[in-house]
Amino acid sequence: MAAHALEQVPWESCLLTPTPDDAMESYARAKMGMPLPMIRYFVPVPWLSHAMVDLHPEYGLLMSLELELNDLIQLVVSQENSCRFCYAAVRGMLRIQGMSEERIRSIEGSLTRADLSPREEAALSFARALTRSTPAAASAAKQALLATGVSVSEMKEIAFATAVINFTNRAATTPAIPPYTMEQMPRKLHVRLLRPLIARMLRKTRSRGQATPLDGALSYPYAGLVESFAGSPIAPALAKALAEMWASPVLTRRCKLLMFAVIARGLGCEACANEAARSLVKEDFSEDALANVLTHLDAPELDPVERLLVPFARETIWYEPAPLQRRARALRDQLTPTQFLEAIGVVSLANGLCRLGAIVADHP
Amino acid sequence: MTRAVLFVAALVVIAALAWALRRKSQYIAALQAQLEGAARELQSLQEACARLAPAGVVQRLVADRTDPGAERKVVTALFSDLVGYTAMSERLEPTVLARIMNGYFQRMSDAIHEHRGHVSTFVGDGVLAYFGALQHNPWQCDDAVRAALAMRAALRDYNKELADEGLPPLGVGIGIHRGPGLAGLVGSRERMEYAFVGRTVNLAARVQALTRVHQVDILVTEAVREHLDPRFVLTLMPPEQVKGIDEPVVTYAVRE
Repeated sequence: MAAHALEQVPWESCLLTPTPDDAMESYARAKMGMPLPMIRYFVPVPWLSHAMVDLHPEYGLLMSLELELNDLIQLVVSQENSCRFCYAAVRGMLRIQGMSEERIRSIEGSLTRADLSPREEAALSFARALTRSTPAAASAAKQALLATGVSVSEMKEIAFATAVINFTNRAATTPAIPPYTMEQMPRKLHVRLLRPLIARMLRKTRSRGQATPLDGALSYPYAGLVESFAGSPIAPALAKALAEMWASPVLTRRCKLLMFAVIARGLGCEACANEAARSLVKEDFSEDALANVLTHLDAPELDPVERLLVPFARETIWYEPAPLQRRARALRDQLTPTQFLEAIGVVSLANGLCRLGAIVADHP
Repeated sequence: MTRAVLFVAALVVIAALAWALRRKSQYIAALQAQLEGAARELQSLQEACARLAPAGVVQRLVADRTDPGAERKVVTALFSDLVGYTAMSERLEPTVLARIMNGYFQRMSDAIHEHRGHVSTFVGDGVLAYFGALQHNPWQCDDAVRAALAMRAALRDYNKELADEGLPPLGVGIGIHRGPGLAGLVGSRERMEYAFVGRTVNLAARVQALTRVHQVDILVTEAVREHLDPRFVLTLMPPEQVKGIDEPVVTYAVRE
């Protein structure tokens, strides 16, 4: 099997040191039935490594969306974001599950010529639009999706799946997690021989979601986003990830909110920008200072860490991998290792959630 | 004897079939390799094209074969032009001139790309670039002025290299304006480019020409200044009448 197209995309050397952690790896294995290779890079920031596992849609979070379509969403979004790591991982999984190389290639090349149903094609076009353009520009693709008969709850699951893979893509791309093992994986003889067995294992661990109540009142920023999924297992998973992220003491809540605000502005997501602004007022950050930050990515009120992270957040909205990785390397040298890692986690999550926020805001 | 002949014949047939099968599988492998090579080239092409037009436009054009149509956008246009190019082109050998110009265009493009602009076209010795055309960019004015300052710095370094070779220094005039227009694919069936059409581009070019009048290298319009980080040091220039615009144009020179 020859190399796939994204293997040509320039990729810097990894910016993080892996930290093997038995407890975390067992956590991933218990939930997913297999190890999650990238998790060891994120162990020093527990909420981030937990979110990597808990937000994986195919492990009990999707009630309407078929797991196969979710796989294709992961493929096209990873391709769109040029995330070599995730793209290789998803491609490998599709091959193991029996999808032919030709079929994968036709989906990567052209949705209209890939023999997809109108519903699948609309779902993938929506996922691509939400990834590559502003949420406002993606609304036409959303309308086209709904016009194929897809329910609002299914559309929200598609938006969630797209948001999560946007999060994972940035978490893997920004620190240049090495993709090489993943890229080689489907070509390994033992993987090819054991393909049916691995496919069976995968089928056993992947599961559909069950209706799950959302317990208790949520009081942290972006709780409204969680509540818009009330009744779905997505809500508690998202609630846990957000609660742990806001509670993490590595970066201040104000700093995280500023990164969210910048990304919301860059994407033109008004609902998310307003949420960040309201929350920053509660953190005693003045409206004038926020206006300065959002207009010029700087303000005298920012502390030294915020002054580094506010402009960096902007770099993660639209990017090419290698230049982003070079900017991340420069940032790493000015922060502590955990600050750097948490910053990657926050901007990655913010990119996913701000894309999601604009879509679900119209469908509470 | 007959059995031996039959056995040998069977062996020959099997060998011939094995050989044909091998040839066929080699042929299929070669075709597959070509196909994969083509897929990689297509991916590279799409990535290269994404620097010239928004990814969505490229996708629909290359994969779906549909023209996505034009889109109304507010964009910041940067127009730069070499000062004294005509005189220099008359003095230098064409090969030397081409080398100097390639070095100049590369440095200017790098400075623009580094600040999230995209070079739309090279017009003679000029460069036309846009900020906020490919992706939504609320920081497009700051980006454009930072790019202009990076172009100034890059040209300063390049002039040192040229001086070491005994070649004349280059000077540049840069005009920046922000405004609305129509972004999309423009051109004939044979040759199309992603362009921004409207008064904004014309005014950026006129403002660039004003750099000669005011004897400065970077000028921005009032529309740019309104959105600019106040930490940029600007100097107000006297209003000037320009071709095609009724009112005199107010500009600011960018110091640092």
